[in-house]
Amino acid sequence: MCLLYSALLIGPNWETSVLVGGTVFNQLVLWRPGGSKGDSQSQVERRLLGHSGVIFSLCYLQSARWLASASDDRSVRVWNVGVLGADGGCGVESPTCLRVFYGHQARVFCVRLSPGCVFSAGEDGACLLWEWEGNGRVGQTLKGHRSGGIRSLAVSRGGGWVATGGADGGIRAWRVLEGTRLVDQSKEADCQIDLGFSGRGCPKVVRSLGGRDAVLVCTDQGEVLLHQDESWQTVWNGGPEFQSYCVMDVAPVQFQDASLWVCAVGNLNSGVQVFALHHPNSGVLLQAGQGKVHALQWVQGDRLCLLASGAEGLVYRWTLEVIEDKTGLGLRLEKQKSFLLPTCAKRWLTAAVRLPRGNGSLWVCGDRRGSLLLYREGELCEESEVDRENREGGSKEEQGVWEDENRWPESTVNDIAPISPVNTLFGVHGKQGVTSVCEHQGLFYSTGRDGCVRVLTVDRNTLKVRRVHRASKGMEWLEKVMFLGSEISDMYEVIERRKQDGEEEERSITDSGLEIEGVGQKKRDTFNEEAELKKTIGINLEDSGSERFAEARFVMVGFHSIQFVLWDPLTRDKLFSVTCGGGHRSWAYIFPSHTQALPSSHSLREGMLIFIQKGAVMSSRSLTSKATHVRGHTLKDGLHGRGLSCICHLGSVSRGGLSSEEWEVLVTGGEDTTVSVLAIEPGQGTVKVLAVLADHISNVRTLAAVQREPRQKGGSNSRTNTSSLSTFLFSAGGRAELQCYQLLIGWNEQVNWPVCQVTQVAGHRLDEQWERRRNRHKTVKMDPETRYMSMAVVHESIEEILVTLACSDGAVRLFTVRVESRKVELVWENFYHQRCVLSVASYSFEDPQGKQHVLLFSGATDGAVALWDLTTVLDSKSMDSWHGPSAPCFSLPVHQSGVNALVISNEVGPMDKDIITVASGGDDGQLSLMKIRMQLRQEVVFPELLSHWTVPLAHSAPLTALGALDCATLVSTSPDQRVCVWRVCHDGLQNKATVFSHTADAAGLWVWHKKGSGLQSRDYVVVCGQGLQVLELTNGKDPERNEKE
Amino acid sequence: MGRSSKDKRDIYYRLAKEEGWRARSAFKLLQLDEEFNLFKGVRRAVDLCAAPGSWSQVLSRKLRASNESCEEVKIVAVDLQAMAPLPGVTQIQGDITKVSTAQEIIRHFEGQAADLVVCDGAPDVTGLHDVDEYIQAQLLLAALNITTHVLKPGGNFVAKIFRGKDVTLLYSQLKIFFSMVTCAKPRSSRNSSIEAFVVCQNYSPPDGYIPNMSNPLLDHSYDVDFNQLEGPNRIIVPFLACGDLSAFDSDRTYPLQLDSNKEYKYLPPTQPPIQPPYQQACHLRKNNLLAKEDLPSALLGLGALNLGTEQETDASTRETH
Repeated sequence: MCLLYSALLIGPNWETSVLVGGTVFNQLVLWRPGGSKGDSQSQVERRLLGHSGVIFSLCYLQSARWLASASDDRSVRVWNVGVLGADGGCGVESPTCLRVFYGHQARVFCVRLSPGCVFSAGEDGACLLWEWEGNGRVGQTLKGHRSGGIRSLAVSRGGGWVATGGADGGIRAWRVLEGTRLVDQSKEADCQIDLGFSGRGCPKVVRSLGGRDAVLVCTDQGEVLLHQDESWQTVWNGGPEFQSYCVMDVAPVQFQDASLWVCAVGNLNSGVQVFALHHPNSGVLLQAGQGKVHALQWVQGDRLCLLASGAEGLVYRWTLEVIEDKTGLGLRLEKQKSFLLPTCAKRWLTAAVRLPRGNGSLWVCGDRRGSLLLYREGELCEESEVDRENREGGSKEEQGVWEDENRWPESTVNDIAPISPVNTLFGVHGKQGVTSVCEHQGLFYSTGRDGCVRVLTVDRNTLKVRRVHRASKGMEWLEKVMFLGSEISDMYEVIERRKQDGEEEERSITDSGLEIEGVGQKKRDTFNEEAELKKTIGINLEDSGSERFAEARFVMVGFHSIQFVLWDPLTRDKLFSVTCGGGHRSWAYIFPSHTQALPSSHSLREGMLIFIQKGAVMSSRSLTSKATHVRGHTLKDGLHGRGLSCICHLGSVSRGGLSSEEWEVLVTGGEDTTVSVLAIEPGQGTVKVLAVLADHISNVRTLAAVQREPRQKGGSNSRTNTSSLSTFLFSAGGRAELQCYQLLIGWNEQVNWPVCQVTQVAGHRLDEQWERRRNRHKTVKMDPETRYMSMAVVHESIEEILVTLACSDGAVRLFTVRVESRKVELVWENFYHQRCVLSVASYSFEDPQGKQHVLLFSGATDGAVALWDLTTVLDSKSMDSWHGPSAPCFSLPVHQSGVNALVISNEVGPMDKDIITVASGGDDGQLSLMKIRMQLRQEVVFPELLSHWTVPLAHSAPLTALGALDCATLVSTSPDQRVCVWRVCHDGLQNKATVFSHTADAAGLWVWHKKGSGLQSRDYVVVCGQGLQVLELTNGKDPERNEKE
Repeated sequence: MGRSSKDKRDIYYRLAKEEGWRARSAFKLLQLDEEFNLFKGVRRAVDLCAAPGSWSQVLSRKLRASNESCEEVKIVAVDLQAMAPLPGVTQIQGDITKVSTAQEIIRHFEGQAADLVVCDGAPDVTGLHDVDEYIQAQLLLAALNITTHVLKPGGNFVAKIFRGKDVTLLYSQLKIFFSMVTCAKPRSSRNSSIEAFVVCQNYSPPDGYIPNMSNPLLDHSYDVDFNQLEGPNRIIVPFLACGDLSAFDSDRTYPLQLDSNKEYKYLPPTQPPIQPPYQQACHLRKNNLLAKEDLPSALLGLGALNLGTEQETDASTRETH
């Protein structure tokens, strides 16, 4: 007898079958269970030794006579076992190990074989395709699950399709095409081509002119060269002035229905040469102050604008106009007021974007110090103080027009008062600087070398960070974002797949162009439909402007150690990767030729990177799985990759009108440190992930929400017949971290499902001061690593929200979150419990005099429940002067060990308004119910315990979550995987129903009543743990499985 | 986070290092003993799945301290893998599913049966929830099986249990063999963990029961309502939290400076972890030899292929069964 972790039965019938077992002793054992006669146990006939961990998965391929095993030791082994089963018996006498594959970063959970190919997948979330030929290299890496790894794997008979099932509950299917599997070595070498730069000196800056074959390079010899038709030609030579240092930027400009390229080159001595690429002699030399031109950038707008970042933080600006004169083409540059950057070291501009506003423009810029700056021009009222001061100095604004060969008269430079930013987010992207800013659908996106993308809004004169998105671990240097086309295209692709039947699937061809021809009329229809949809969305995006609900889908572009990477944050997929040597180099990514305005994530794989490496100009395709080889499809969205610890129901949104389609909006927090906003349609069982909030650095243990009336803005009538939700969401957990978001959930009629807009309001950590200490790596942090265990909203008003937190260091803490100033402050903490506080619940009521009272219950690991009167916090005008209670007004041992859940409800009857019901669930499996009368004497609460009932073994495992549908109905759950409904009777608690739940490790629960007319009103329970499940409480109060996830 | 962060997160981990226990689980057995007086009169004790040996340490210290005749106390520790030697503890490197192991234990007790059998074994957690729970249940039943071979009637059995979906079924199995079964949670076991301990007192097997190693114990018909059976059929296993309330709280995060008189000092673990299964894989990763798709194929040859030829030097044993 021995524990088995995996087993495989091979053979046509029981008598001749062979059983392979993967044992806890790291062996593969083979025996014939049906082979023995009588009662005697059959003996193990073969033992395959080699693994150093338990065996998780086995696969046998008859045609090759291979047996494959996947193990805890992170390796996959393929054994030559001969023919198993039937006449083959247990195969060859002494099986040998043919291959050992080490490539996974964690446990390997599954292995599958197909001729010439081994597929393996595991805890690291990667599915690796090992090619048998060519010494067993990794042919492809398929990634795309949220976290927690891949748990199951299936490969179609021919090996053309691979499906992976993730720990996140997601299912992805991948097209792995035959024939392309064996990329021969010579082809691979072609991936990276030296463009054979032949000019003098060293190339320093590279820019793409759109097409695959048009590359512009600027050298340290002050020359600009163009690569076209496989040859290099010098476009412009700047002479000695432009040698040893130069910066360059190029941009397209429209002129009389034609597009031409203008190029700007800056030098060490403030000179900036601007010329049209095909008329290099029509150039203009501009003067950008004095000293080095740090950076040059063309910015699109109603007129193309050139920014040159010079000395002392001055950014010189010119607008460009192409004119036609006697000699042909001319450039007219009109000097604009300069921008002034904030004082700091490395004071130069790195990014800029412009948006027309009113009669002027709005500029969002980024600098090398990591600051984001907002400038306004052309609007008289919007001048900052610095601006005014400068003017008092007597300088006079002046504008001039210089044409052609004219040089900027130096005398006037100082006369122009620079514009100071109206708002600065100093150093927001860290000390390594901002790398790009751009605008898309009314939102601004900035990237920096802190590995973050910040989504920004401009509210009058203030730049506000709405959200921060972090790239994958190790990808600290982001260069920019690229927006993706609507995800509809992805969806349609899947539909296409589904429409094809098996035969056709196998025949579909690599190239997308061919694919259209290959399939019938039916398919062409979907294509048209898709195009239609895209068109309507395109239109919609334009009119909706800044009132956009959801953020756009984008891909992060940056460097991951020595690689240039395009990374899809949603699918967590590396779309494109080129080993170029890392950051600090000039690069240009060339979109694949067939890409429309906004590319799909698939097409981005086929792009090309031009970069400079060791003095050579290189062109490279991605070495990672090419789009033509692999196409991933999400058949089902993934949720959290690891356990869900908390859940909260926000409300529902509907399409409105006659449609009865209603989506329930839920928020979940998990061990994978993320918070997910989900929409669930209980009727169909559809789940849609609306947003993933990944700001927490540790696990998320608790959630709380405050509903707000949705903003009603005049003019936006389009959504009046649909419902929407506005909520302040709080999440808290490990490392004593608290986050606050504002969520706006509404219906998007174009895509026909709910969408969610997320604004990060505030974040707070108890040990933030420690993080800011300079030499912290040298000292030992003495503070406890506090975790927040539970949270409750105590009070809310328009300006501020009060939340209490149960803390693992033994404290109950009260924080105020100020919405407008986005500040979180600690106002009270009390260490009464002296043990880890596990749960908090709050209750507020109005006394007969109309005075509001706030009560708080807290429970700790010793089983005690304490009651706190926090009423005075409402009276204190300023939080600083308020000293919270030093002791609870009531404390009672309720459980033997930890109090995991607390729920408060009050009686419905008008007579018993001062009686509240406190239900608690404990680690001891007990459910307890207390009725407490809240007596008031001189406005002070005196609690009186009226009754206390317990159900000692309500669950055979810890009771982890509890919810109250009303004061008479409780629902509890536990890791024993039961959901129990309890009825509060006059003499105690009665078990009304128990149902088995598929959610293991149940940790959170939410119960809600859905109003409806008559029979349409429903009661729902949602349980979360390893996955989540929605149950409906039917009339007889028997929970009925409605839909599971 | 640094090496001291685990000291903050887990007070018993820190205390175990200070007091020289090989693992924090030593405190769990100590607290179980406080509640159930498990060591009273015990002269022959068996520690199943003993590695790294903290429960054997507890048995050795406590049994010798309470017993005047130290010579009579015999402790046998069984584990699949070798364990650093402990004074006064006889080690058997063997498989608890084998009759030969049971016979060897009895041999060490000079033909007599044990007074107490303890088992703190747990599978390597795979993160595959149902697999972990199932393996733990199988392990408990294997321990119960060998216990029926070596425990004297009236003796006690203590084992780790995961309070999961099938825990009631396990209780029902244990109640066949013991007149008193309690589910106990020492304060040193974290509230957040599904771990608990079954304390089975007074071994009294059914009449005519013949111990048999290949008993398929976990083979009951079982349904949803099993946990909520009414009347005499209901399996009642009381729950008891044990350990002094004034003891440290395993869920609480403590500051490093616990006592103002004693300065915090980082202590290395008493027993460093034994060879993990992923050792080879980690070695390869450290040397950048793991096979990767976007590596030039020259490097890959090293990573994937050469390993195939140097098979099988590392048939190392595992931490637990």
